[in-house]
Amino acid sequence: MNQASGSGSQGSTNEERLIELAKSKPEGISNENIKQQIPDLPLEELAVIINKCLKNGSLELFKTKDKLLYKYKDSSKKTTVRGADNEEKIVYKIIEEAGNKGIWIRDIRFKSNLNMTQLNKVLKSLETKKLIKAVKSVSASKKKVYMLYDLEADSSVTGGAWYQDQDFESEFVDVLNQQCYRFLKQKSDEANSMGGGPLLARNRSYATASDVHKFISELGISKISLSVDDIESILYTVVLDNNAERIVATNGSFLYRAVSHFVPTPGIVKTTCGICPIVNRCADTGLINPKVCNYFTEWLQ
Amino acid sequence: MSVQYGKVISLILQERFGPVVEKVGTYLFQYGTVPLLYIKKNTNLPLSKVKEALCILIKYRLVTFTPNRNANVANYTLQHDQVLLTLRYANYINLIKKKFGNECEMIVEELLQRSYWTASELILKVIERFKKDHNKAVTILSLREKFISLVNAQYLIRLPYSEEDKPVPNLILPETDQFVIPQFELKQMTLVQSGKAPVDSLPDRGVYWTVNFDRFHQDMRDKLIVNAFTKKFDENAGEFVRLLLQQMYIRTTPWAEVSNPVPVIEIRDNVRKQATHQHLLAFFDQYVSVLEQDNSQLIRQGGEAGGGSLQIFLKEAFVQFAWETVEQIVLEKFDSKAARIFRLVKSKQYIESDQIQQLAMIPAKEAKRLSYQLLEENFLQVQELKKSSSTGPNKSFTLFHIDINQVIRMTLELCYKTLYNIMTRKNHERLVHKRIIDKKQRVETIIMGMRVQGAGDEQLADIEEMITPPEKEILQKIDLTMKKLNSVELEIDETIFLLQMYLLYQ
Repeated sequence: MNQASGSGSQGSTNEERLIELAKSKPEGISNENIKQQIPDLPLEELAVIINKCLKNGSLELFKTKDKLLYKYKDSSKKTTVRGADNEEKIVYKIIEEAGNKGIWIRDIRFKSNLNMTQLNKVLKSLETKKLIKAVKSVSASKKKVYMLYDLEADSSVTGGAWYQDQDFESEFVDVLNQQCYRFLKQKSDEANSMGGGPLLARNRSYATASDVHKFISELGISKISLSVDDIESILYTVVLDNNAERIVATNGSFLYRAVSHFVPTPGIVKTTCGICPIVNRCADTGLINPKVCNYFTEWLQ
Repeated sequence: MSVQYGKVISLILQERFGPVVEKVGTYLFQYGTVPLLYIKKNTNLPLSKVKEALCILIKYRLVTFTPNRNANVANYTLQHDQVLLTLRYANYINLIKKKFGNECEMIVEELLQRSYWTASELILKVIERFKKDHNKAVTILSLREKFISLVNAQYLIRLPYSEEDKPVPNLILPETDQFVIPQFELKQMTLVQSGKAPVDSLPDRGVYWTVNFDRFHQDMRDKLIVNAFTKKFDENAGEFVRLLLQQMYIRTTPWAEVSNPVPVIEIRDNVRKQATHQHLLAFFDQYVSVLEQDNSQLIRQGGEAGGGSLQIFLKEAFVQFAWETVEQIVLEKFDSKAARIFRLVKSKQYIESDQIQQLAMIPAKEAKRLSYQLLEENFLQVQELKKSSSTGPNKSFTLFHIDINQVIRMTLELCYKTLYNIMTRKNHERLVHKRIIDKKQRVETIIMGMRVQGAGDEQLADIEEMITPPEKEILQKIDLTMKKLNSVELEIDETIFLLQMYLLYQ
């Protein structure tokens, strides 16, 4: 091995070996460890390498029981904080820990012990560097949470498929509800028309959520891709509308089937009084009375 | 028993029996059981009028009496539920017509009009009416058969009578006597018919018959159940349930909450005998399992012995029907979204508003608005749970729940109010157009009179023209309005019946 010419490359290989070693021991390596594993490394060179690694963030320094430990840190993450000052680093770290659930600005303040103006400045600079982003939570419209820029926000924050910019898309849900019901209805109609007895027809008319999911995906009414769980919750609204029933299949999943009701529309709601919004204020005397009731007059015409 | 209910009752009495009876009836409704002189004192009517009104009410079995502590004075009680039943008469007549035909329809109709009558006189009257209205001769013998079949089917029941002679008689009817066929003497009846013998000479004098409403209600209940099953499943399932109910009567009291087990074989035999529902017969076992495995759980396996037997849960059925009715009312009154919330609260029993938004998939704002609207109209209730803690903020949960009994009573109240409104409106319309209606009646009587005198067509047409075309238009409109209001009255009564059944089974 040509030492004189290869000192630069030797340095980098030594560095690689050291990082390799640190990677294999996530709990950290001590100076003794390094000496054992890489005995041919001179102490001065080790100090240079470690200093370099600590500077670019691929190693971290810990102190336990008067012993120094080096820990490996993922370099893909560390690159982003490059050129940031200490406050930014700390705030970044706090936000990073929060993961895809995000963290509220108040909590950052408590954890970082920074004051409000300073924190705002830090957050702004991190945001302009596209290191973090602010996401509006659906549970409280004024609450902003921060998370790393490249993370996809958790469904508890965005509300899942049903939210577009933290607005609930009720029309979208309504359309899906109708389509799911249509699918179930079609299925039960088909099963009935095939004949072969009521039991057979009933068993044929059951559909799983993934069947419905397939149908909805093929329809192409949804711009975003829906999961089977999303469809499951839509199907539950169909059940709540009393248009379908849900049973548990032998494998623990749910089966759905379109059903009709027992009772026809009751007579009371065929009158105007049954659905009158001001029926409680209606009396013999006063402006609202059955003799001059406009609802009545309109209905009788 | 509410103010609204009382108003409906007095309106019905007013419509059927006039203002005096209405006054007495309303007083009785308000004050419960009272003796004669109290009524006189508080209504300010002359004694003779009060007596007359009470007689009419007692005749129609709308008022009952019991001896006071002084056995010479009677206490009178208004049977308010019976008063309400008068609205259902059209339904009863229709039911009998469908089941037994025209002759029986007329028997029941006459009996409902008179409240009670002896069998022989009733038959004679029906024969007379047939002759007059339809120009059709009906023999005593055939009508007697019809009458007996009605008694056997328990649609008619003997009126309670008194055996001892007391100032205030105690009317009783031993259970064994309820449906004993009366004695008919055909010879005597023909004599009376031709006017050769007095009515008193008939052998069944004093044995009065009346309509057994209870039996009609059983029929209406059964019909409701069968229709429900037909709607939910198909016609064959409906037929199956009908036969099941028919077999139920053999071993269960009519108003039992749960029927005793009915062997499946019996139903199958009946289906075979009828031979009307081939599809049902072919897939009989499948229908049994479909009905039995349904989520509603109204029909359940009673036992395995002898090919299995089935039980039908009548109380449970009406609980479910009442729920569905209320759900439909919520649906129509508020929106499908509100109905969804209502059902969600029903299925979860106690639920927080956050969960409502999530599970019903309704935007937070709308969900809140709807649930509080339902709360305001008393369809939902809230229960607040406060977590008491000495330190830290007090946490409280607001849980929504439904008190179905209360909702149903409230709906029933709404039905009464609607009935009252419709009847008031009807009277009002009549009052507004009184002049034209009176004119029409006058013209009609003149035409009738002239026709009898043998006037020519030209003369008749002249008189008919006294009603001008615009007046005719108005008359037509009134006619339409009345028809609409009347039909709606019957439909409301159906809802009332369903809800009353629910309360009856509670």
